[in-house]
Amino acid sequence: MLTLPRLQLHRPGSVREAVELLASKPNARVLAGGTDIVPNLKHGIYETEHLIALRGLSSELRYVRRDGGRDGDSIRLGALCTIDQLSKDPDVLQSLPALADACRQIAGPQLRKMGTLGGNLCLDTRCVYINQSYFWRSALGFCLKKDGTACHVVAQGLRCVAAASNDTAPVLLALGASVRIVGPRGERVVPLADFYLHDGIHNTVLEPDELLVEAAVPLPAARLKQAFFKLRTRAAIDYSAINLAVALAVSPAGLVTALRLCVSALAARPALINRLQDLVGQPADLHLAEELGRRAQKQCKPLTNIGVDPAYRREILPVLVRRTVLRAIAS
Amino acid sequence: MSDSVLIRLFVNGEEHALAAPPQRTLLEALRYDLQLTGSKQGCDKGDCGACTVLVRERSATGRGEPILACITLAQDAQDLAIITIEGLATPAGLDPIQQAFADCGALQCGFCQPGMMLSARALLDRCERPSLPQIQDALSGNLCRCTGYTKIYEAIQVAAGLREPSSRAPVSSEKALPSDQVAYAVKELLP
Amino acid sequence: MSRSSHHERGDIGARFPKVDGAGKADGSGVYTDDLAFPRMLHAKLLRSPHAHARILNIDVSAAERLPGVIATLVGAEMPAKYGVIPWTHDEQALATDHVRFIGDEVACVAALDERTAEEALRLIRVDYEPLPALLSAEEALAHPEIKVNEKAKVGNITKEVKLEFGPVDEAIATAAAITRERYQYAGSTHAPIEPHCAVARVDGDGNLTVWSSTQIPHYVHRELARVLGLPPARVRVIQPLLGGAFGGKSDPFSLEFCVAKLALKTGRPVKILFTREEVFYAHRGRHPMAMDVTVALDAGGRISAVDNKILIDGGAYASFGLVTAYYAGQLLTGPYRFGTYRFDSKRMYTNKPPCGPKRGHGSVQPRFAFEVALDEAAEKLGIDPIEVRRRNFIGEDVETVNGQRITSNGFLKCLELVEQASGWKERHGKLGPGRGLGVAGSMYISGTAYPVYPNEMPQSGVLVKLDRSGRVAVFSGASDIGQGVNTLLCQIAAEELGCDPREVTVVAADTDLTPVDMGAYSSRVTFMNGLAAREACEKLARKLKAAASVRVGDEIELELGTVRGPRGSISFAEACQLAEAAEGAPLSATGGYRTQKLGGNYRGGTIGASPAYSFTAHVAEVEVDEETGIWKVTRIWAAHDCGKALNPTLVEGQIEGSVYMGAAEAQMEEMVYGKQGLLFGPSLLDYKIPTSLDTPLIDALIVESHDPNGPYGAKEAGEGPLHPAIPAIANAIHDACGIRLRELPFYPQRVLQLLQARVPGQERRTAC
Repeated sequence: MLTLPRLQLHRPGSVREAVELLASKPNARVLAGGTDIVPNLKHGIYETEHLIALRGLSSELRYVRRDGGRDGDSIRLGALCTIDQLSKDPDVLQSLPALADACRQIAGPQLRKMGTLGGNLCLDTRCVYINQSYFWRSALGFCLKKDGTACHVVAQGLRCVAAASNDTAPVLLALGASVRIVGPRGERVVPLADFYLHDGIHNTVLEPDELLVEAAVPLPAARLKQAFFKLRTRAAIDYSAINLAVALAVSPAGLVTALRLCVSALAARPALINRLQDLVGQPADLHLAEELGRRAQKQCKPLTNIGVDPAYRREILPVLVRRTVLRAIAS
Repeated sequence: MSDSVLIRLFVNGEEHALAAPPQRTLLEALRYDLQLTGSKQGCDKGDCGACTVLVRERSATGRGEPILACITLAQDAQDLAIITIEGLATPAGLDPIQQAFADCGALQCGFCQPGMMLSARALLDRCERPSLPQIQDALSGNLCRCTGYTKIYEAIQVAAGLREPSSRAPVSSEKALPSDQVAYAVKELLP
Repeated sequence: MSRSSHHERGDIGARFPKVDGAGKADGSGVYTDDLAFPRMLHAKLLRSPHAHARILNIDVSAAERLPGVIATLVGAEMPAKYGVIPWTHDEQALATDHVRFIGDEVACVAALDERTAEEALRLIRVDYEPLPALLSAEEALAHPEIKVNEKAKVGNITKEVKLEFGPVDEAIATAAAITRERYQYAGSTHAPIEPHCAVARVDGDGNLTVWSSTQIPHYVHRELARVLGLPPARVRVIQPLLGGAFGGKSDPFSLEFCVAKLALKTGRPVKILFTREEVFYAHRGRHPMAMDVTVALDAGGRISAVDNKILIDGGAYASFGLVTAYYAGQLLTGPYRFGTYRFDSKRMYTNKPPCGPKRGHGSVQPRFAFEVALDEAAEKLGIDPIEVRRRNFIGEDVETVNGQRITSNGFLKCLELVEQASGWKERHGKLGPGRGLGVAGSMYISGTAYPVYPNEMPQSGVLVKLDRSGRVAVFSGASDIGQGVNTLLCQIAAEELGCDPREVTVVAADTDLTPVDMGAYSSRVTFMNGLAAREACEKLARKLKAAASVRVGDEIELELGTVRGPRGSISFAEACQLAEAAEGAPLSATGGYRTQKLGGNYRGGTIGASPAYSFTAHVAEVEVDEETGIWKVTRIWAAHDCGKALNPTLVEGQIEGSVYMGAAEAQMEEMVYGKQGLLFGPSLLDYKIPTSLDTPLIDALIVESHDPNGPYGAKEAGEGPLHPAIPAIANAIHDACGIRLRELPFYPQRVLQLLQARVPGQERRTAC
């Protein structure tokens, strides 16, 4: 059996303790559900001797709360909510149906019981050339992300383009969510739109000694119409080959008043499709859905970092966007 | 060699203490330290479901929810109550799920089945009369290579009291007329 | 649980639950990796990171110094070559001077635990001189000067077979309809959920025991003794419960030799458990094949000629490749009558993990190509796909064009069942856009008349012993790999002896204790082992009846633990006691299956010759999303002629598993290699096998044609039913949207490309 490297496990009982441990143990990493980090550790992708297990923080960080704030209502999701929990939570189903839908499509039932929202948002980027054993990567000659200097996806590429593969991220980006981060220097709230970076080696602004503790989604008075879609080869136990989420607000007259579209499983950062302002005020209809499809295709360049033909993924993207937008409009 | 740590595990209603390296996975601990070899290892890293066990918080009731032991650290499982396939049967006999799997031919090589049966048990614990799509969904994290899943669905439906085991009778073929024979000389183009 | 008394009795034809079912259900069943011994060491294999290289030097000294490492092993310590086929011994347990694919084994380390062994591997220094790698059959053909494997006499050809039956070119010249196309079959692998595992132990007298997850204990026994230079009588091979095989565990593998050698070296038990990645390198899966197929029909829709030129990508070693080259051609000649037939198949060595026998060995690929071509040719003549198959039915008690003798043949009934069950007449060609039905048929062997190594001994043997308690012990060399042969042995004993099948002990697949059986391959086990068991039980039944007749009179019936005669009845145990007294010795009997002389009278004519052939027909139903090419097979009706269902539940299980595996190959499975010859994604995440949500509903329909030669009329059921799934799906996609898929797997992008290339009016196939 593939074994884990030698390491120490620390089991803090509170966020404070966890953050202190993160700061005091060199190269420490966080263990929540373990569904991403444990395979990666077995593959020798991380140099770490210290794992900080968060199971003891469950009572602190496992919640779905609605509350009113200065900017209106929001729904707050504790980072240790399991994926399974979010797929069934009545508040999530009611207010964030696209998130529940995304969660239902993550991996398989057991992994959804284990995996957490925080873990999914911080999921390491994935690439066919990195998520492999040490032997396999050594036969390849390693790569930019770990132990090597070359990128096998982009010839002469200097920046790692391993793909953001989390399914909750595009939904929460489309819904305008932010995340709360706790570290030794205190607490900060970062809009999710500013959370992800264009770097497959480390694709978030999270510092090594910080912990993501919560995601919050604003709930505007007029509920957003929303939908999520995941393209994958098999119907379970599979990462996205493309995922996308759309959220839009529609006036009683049927005109779009706000609009966000996010496409991911492309490169290190989920892509919020930009320059959509001119579509605000347009009717929410087939024409809009097709236009969004065209713009997404223009802005998205699938790569060979994922094992499904990039040309094909790009080709069908407008169809997937059109259908998802229409589904959102009809919701 | 790493220094060992003391790990306490609560498995099938019994408390066990073992000394193992800190990176010991729950699956290794179950199989190699506690000799509970019914939990299988198929993929190394959370892809196949053969190592599925049921867990709950120790304070909670019920049998718990399916998780994967191969990517769970044994040390991190110390607050959980764990049920493995060995803990499903009672002195009175096999669990209805196990009995139905055996009766319906749902077990071929049997290797994925401990995990499969525990996923099925968790399904019936929360949903007494599942529909076929619910069954298919509940099993979608357990890969089986032998059965095409068909007899597994049947076994779960039988365990849930939704049907009887299959009893479709084979059909005899009539004697078929021989067709006209054509005989040619064989040309061996290559030895 | 209500079960009929017939099932309780557990005789032939009963849906008797598997005898190892409860042990598999409660977790107590012992598979190889469940074994542990005091002082057992864990070993790991170092593998080549080069697709093709010379080994200049191996230095294990640093690894040996690592605390916790007990021993290392290199190829020079057991350099003898081996292989499952005696004519192609071309593998070494650990390479001495030449590595041939990424993953080829080079060295081995035994340590106190797996982690230490894994860390020690990184301390082994191997100097390689990389060589140019040949990564496809075409490249291997184009570069005979680069030698992948010295075993190849000419260039990189493992084996070429060219045979012609009748004037093919003449028939093609006068055909009414012809299709001539190239088909590409992707390589796929078995992916049993249990990874390969082996444990070795040497006792104080120097006897070596190897427990292995193998489906061929007898060959492993032979090859271990040969390679290790031990007398075979000092080597014992035991196959514990096996967690799936499908042909993937039917070669001797490096791990078996390495644990044995390390146990001999260290005097301690040694285990190797492959990681999932290593299972992919062990491979022996489906060969990629490129097939140029011509099918010609005469004006009456009869198959007048079939011509197939097949290029086979074999990987680095021969495995069963000699047979593959024959099977690719020889097994296509039913269930339809071919007017004339020609094939030219060539298996190439390439620098990739070796291919071998995956369920439906050698014949799944040409079957796909042929059944699609037949559909297409029939369409040109306006003949319904089921009708063209019916019209070409070869019949019973006939000889195929290549000289194979077909006895029973229930193919017409199979066609009829799937036609009715699928509502073919009302629905084919009429399901509306994006939905369709497709049909295909096939034939497969029930074992091969030709044993893998020529000898005059039986291919399968069974010893049955009766105890005076009434307990029956069946000693059988056959491998239960999940298909249920141990259960069938109990049913055969119950049928013949009248014992309670629950009072039968099966001792199986232990080379010290059980008679030889060749192994679980070529769908031979039920047929050959079943006949051997029946023969042994018949002998004992005669003794039981003779002894019991003294007490209960003649005309005895043996039934579920009771021996009944005109003058009363006694228990089965009493009958055993009477018989043992009459014998004056313990009661036992043996039975054997002797190889029949079969096959065409030409070189290679015996390969593919089987004592009986099974037949299958499938109808598949699909839905195609024409905008994205994404499709789904929603249901497959599969009717299979297994001669006689000794246990219908087990037969259905084999049909369902076969259909699943075929559908999986059509949908998503492929061994994909990068430019360097590195296998992409050797894991169960990246190599996609279907989940419950990806598997169609499967209707398994059993047809019984009562074969004159099989045990109780039985034929095979484990491999045949896989074949038609792939072409039935391809033909269904054609029915749904008018495209012809000729390359596997049917990835959505391939479907979409074909959809986009359609000319107007081609959107739908017209119903005939």
